[in-house]
Amino acid sequence: MSTRLPSPPAASPSLRTGIGLRAQHHADIVARKPGVGWFEAHSENYFAAGGAQRSYLTKIRADYPLSLHGVGLSIGSTDPLNRAHLREIARLVHDFEPLLVSEHLSWSSVEGRFTNDLLPLPYTEEALRHMITRVRDVQDVLGRQILIENVSSYVQFTCSYIPEWEFLTSLAEESGCGILLDVNNVYVSARNHGFDAHAWLNTMPRSAVKEIHLAGHTVRPMARQEILIDTHNTHVCAAVWDLYAAAANRFPGVPALIEWDADIPPLDVLVAEARKADEVAEVNHVAAA
Amino acid sequence: MLPLRDLQKRFESALFDDAPGAIAPWIRGCERDAAECAAIDAHARLSIYRNNLREGFRKALALEFPVIERLVGADYFRQLALAFLAEHPSSAGDLHPIGEPFAQFLHRRFEDTQYAYLPDVATLEWAYQQSLVAADAPPFDLQMLRDIPQEAYGQLRFTLHPACGLVRSAYPVVRIWAVNQPEAPAEEVVDLSSGADFVLLRRVAMGVEMRRIAAADFAILNEFAQGAVLANALGSAHDLDADFDLGEALRRFIGLGVFTGAQLGSSPPHGEPLP
Repeated sequence: MSTRLPSPPAASPSLRTGIGLRAQHHADIVARKPGVGWFEAHSENYFAAGGAQRSYLTKIRADYPLSLHGVGLSIGSTDPLNRAHLREIARLVHDFEPLLVSEHLSWSSVEGRFTNDLLPLPYTEEALRHMITRVRDVQDVLGRQILIENVSSYVQFTCSYIPEWEFLTSLAEESGCGILLDVNNVYVSARNHGFDAHAWLNTMPRSAVKEIHLAGHTVRPMARQEILIDTHNTHVCAAVWDLYAAAANRFPGVPALIEWDADIPPLDVLVAEARKADEVAEVNHVAAA
Repeated sequence: MLPLRDLQKRFESALFDDAPGAIAPWIRGCERDAAECAAIDAHARLSIYRNNLREGFRKALALEFPVIERLVGADYFRQLALAFLAEHPSSAGDLHPIGEPFAQFLHRRFEDTQYAYLPDVATLEWAYQQSLVAADAPPFDLQMLRDIPQEAYGQLRFTLHPACGLVRSAYPVVRIWAVNQPEAPAEEVVDLSSGADFVLLRRVAMGVEMRRIAAADFAILNEFAQGAVLANALGSAHDLDADFDLGEALRRFIGLGVFTGAQLGSSPPHGEPLP
């Protein structure tokens, strides 16, 4: 596909919050045009040369704003930047003209062997320099700003000495990238590592946060304790809604997105979750006014 | 200070090789209440990532080979997926390509066993996956032959549509595939000796169609897929079916959207014009 797409008309009546685009919902979305604000596609799910997946994405893009969210570029890896993968992302960016393009503050490969997971970085000056170089490289190839998302983590490294918020803020300042603030990931990591999620949130620079993610997680018992796993398989929990209320207050107008990637429910459940996000942001906005 | 590359190698090895010793000393518990969080030690924390790796790989493989999973059962499929992961870990940021060597893996494991049909079923499922994501292409238009003199037809090379696949098996793989679809009744027994299958896969509006075709049809399409010119391709069909009707076959293939183009190829040394 090489033709440029027209700017999409606003879906009406429209929520502001978007939802993650999953193949199970493609046909339903095209048929019913739900009033969500936008859709976010996992870039890797549309690397196909042709066929139904890309065809659906073309149709959905004609009606809604779209963002592309990558899970596999392994941007924090010390392997050479995966040029073939980046070319695929560039092709999608060219074909679908997304509003936002994002990747993760993570790595997933060593010597070409991929875990296909979002592995945490040590927060060191070396890792920060590495990320700045890589993000600049990606932005140069794509010819646009990307957003970098904070991930959920289950370990911290003893050699980390830069606070995560400071690492992310410095990365944004020095590379020019934006921040995709995943409030569920902040909450999961805060619980797993014992820091204050609200304090973390309040350190994020207002101007750098360009998108907010909301998702559900799983609480798993472990060694007579609990550990939180970022599973994206359920509703957003009450504590994360509280954190989102604070985020909506601190970053007014920043688009939010509901992510649900496993045990995927009917489309209406996701639309209801998006409506709730709108309401939380609205109530909070009124309360703050 | 542990260099970033060294840290990543140790961490990755802890996940793939189940060797957490090298990275464990570099992982700490939580800060707020060290006594409480220390109970979740480095090995337990790493096990979350190891589980993510294995389960993510297994799920991605099961999405590509649902019939194999149904045939062998979820528990044994998990074992197969882990063994396959050890031999063929993902080599891309996109998980979709992981299934490419799976049929070969199953062949090495099950040849000369009563499960020797499994690799062929996997080949069919992989061809199905490839057809789903193949490039779009316009169907062949007979007008494309307008300027080609009839005596040159023997030198035509037909290009198969990118979404067309060809799979051959000594087993009735299409039947095996069909009775192991989610909506199929649970207990239908397929006689493994009930015949060989020559399968044409093609993309249709609702997905991918698998069509059993005649051996001679398969032979000529397979020759086209290898880049043979019509004269040579026809020879393969005639070897299997002396009465093979080329005109009828070509019309049928074109009707099914099997071709996307045809060009005059250079004469191969043993090429001969059509009678």
